[in-house]
Amino acid sequence: MDQEIVRTICYLARLEIDQDRAEKIEQDLEIIIELIGELSSIDTTNIEPLYSPLEKTALKHEDIVNSDNQKEKFLQNAPNSNDDYFLVPRVVE
Amino acid sequence: MSIQFKSILELRKMLDTKAISSEELIQETLQLASKLKLLNCFVTMNKEASIQKAIQIDKMAASNSLLSGIPLGQKDLFCTEGLRTTCSSKILSNFVPPYTATSVSNLEAAGSITIGKTNMDEFAMGSSNETSYFGNVHNPWKKGYVPGGSSGGSAAAVAAGIIPAATGTDTGGSIRQPAAHCGITGIKPTYGRVSRWGMIAFASSLDQAGPLARTAEDCAVLLNIMSGYDPKDTTSLDVVNTDLTLTLNDSLKGLKFGIVKEFHLEDLDPAVQKSFDDSKALYESLGVEFIEISLPNISASVPTYYSIAPAECSSNLSRFDGIKFGHRTEHPEDLTDLYIKSRSEGFGDEVKRRILIGTYALSAGYYDAYYKKAQQVRRLIKNDFENAFGLVDLIMTPTSPSTAFSFGSKGSQNPVELYLEDLFTISANLAGLPAISIPHGRLNSLTIPIFKPLIG
Repeated sequence: MDQEIVRTICYLARLEIDQDRAEKIEQDLEIIIELIGELSSIDTTNIEPLYSPLEKTALKHEDIVNSDNQKEKFLQNAPNSNDDYFLVPRVVE
Repeated sequence: MSIQFKSILELRKMLDTKAISSEELIQETLQLASKLKLLNCFVTMNKEASIQKAIQIDKMAASNSLLSGIPLGQKDLFCTEGLRTTCSSKILSNFVPPYTATSVSNLEAAGSITIGKTNMDEFAMGSSNETSYFGNVHNPWKKGYVPGGSSGGSAAAVAAGIIPAATGTDTGGSIRQPAAHCGITGIKPTYGRVSRWGMIAFASSLDQAGPLARTAEDCAVLLNIMSGYDPKDTTSLDVVNTDLTLTLNDSLKGLKFGIVKEFHLEDLDPAVQKSFDDSKALYESLGVEFIEISLPNISASVPTYYSIAPAECSSNLSRFDGIKFGHRTEHPEDLTDLYIKSRSEGFGDEVKRRILIGTYALSAGYYDAYYKKAQQVRRLIKNDFENAFGLVDLIMTPTSPSTAFSFGSKGSQNPVELYLEDLFTISANLAGLPAISIPHGRLNSLTIPIFKPLIG
């Protein structure tokens, strides 16, 4: 774990770290990665990963509209919106 | 007659015999919450709506629902329509959900009254309730001590007798560990038993909601109502749930409890060790037989969890981007800057740490070594449990390696120190097993039998 890797992960996660805390965060990540690195010593040859404890396929249902249009209700929580849309800074010049 | 420390069933009796009205009960509960405000159990109170619902209940004919008019607290990560839901995070500090989580709807439909939203570790990431944006929750038994986490506000409010019961969620011990530190009972149900719909996700394959209460009976009453198939949650179990109150007084005679040899209980805090031994003697006197069992991969459960949970968290928390709801930075340069600044201002340090670890574990070149590897080890851990349950009915371990500790005393230098608090609780989440934390003695002298899975 070096500064370059931390910078890349931060960008991928869309996060930035305060300069004065960068060293501590880097140190913490190093310790945690070392902890999860302990797993490398366990033999998992031919062991299927267990992604969910239930191991059942997610249920599917018909794509039926089952509630009213709640646009106004959902737009109420938006930091910035007009009558129909969430508003964001301009992305096309 | 004071309502403090009354159980659900005691309050039920008071309501049924007209010793108190629903409105009086709610008013007294709100007064208690206000009197004990220093504990910081609640992020948001639901005062007006609670009183209104109580008045309605008083006007209605007697209900046969045990929960009718009973005040409850809901952990602040269950969406509640019209009532602010923050996950104890700055990023959601202004979020008012447009819908209510299924498990809360079930409880409210049964007549219970949500008096407020309980404080928690930010996004349920923590074991001490010290990561909340709204400040630490105090352990009602000892000032300056942690209540445990992440459902610390729920546990403290119940232990302080403000409310008879509350909801919590448990991703790696977040119901059981605060229950332990506050001396109450908490259940993490089988994965899939309680709907996760409307519960703000941390790690989807590990999260499960459950009750915290001062009696096992109240936990059973609450869990009966919270449970049930929900088509809106694709991991909900479509099974008939049995009435948990029917077997509360069944004899334990002839049951076999496993003691995990790999846990080296002799190295624990002497107070925890003594309590564990006392519990064992008590269960033996009730006819339980103890058998030593082996869970060969159990020591890998902490690293396995701290690979899987952050990976799922980094994916789940990518939805908090400052666009559709939640905190948005004030003067972004462009869209990317808006994402980065809104998230960086909105999330606390522990949440950031876990998002970064998860992003790393899922990134190209590391996925197989960390994330996939952890999911393989997870299967080994689950297989170990399956083998053990061929020999025993339940497994008993302490809930936490130590008793409640003082604020700031663990994890500030090295985060892994706090992660090890979850040593005994994490494996039940990895394997999807139900588990309960039962108090024994004063303050965190506890045992935690991990039950045989209800669903195979």
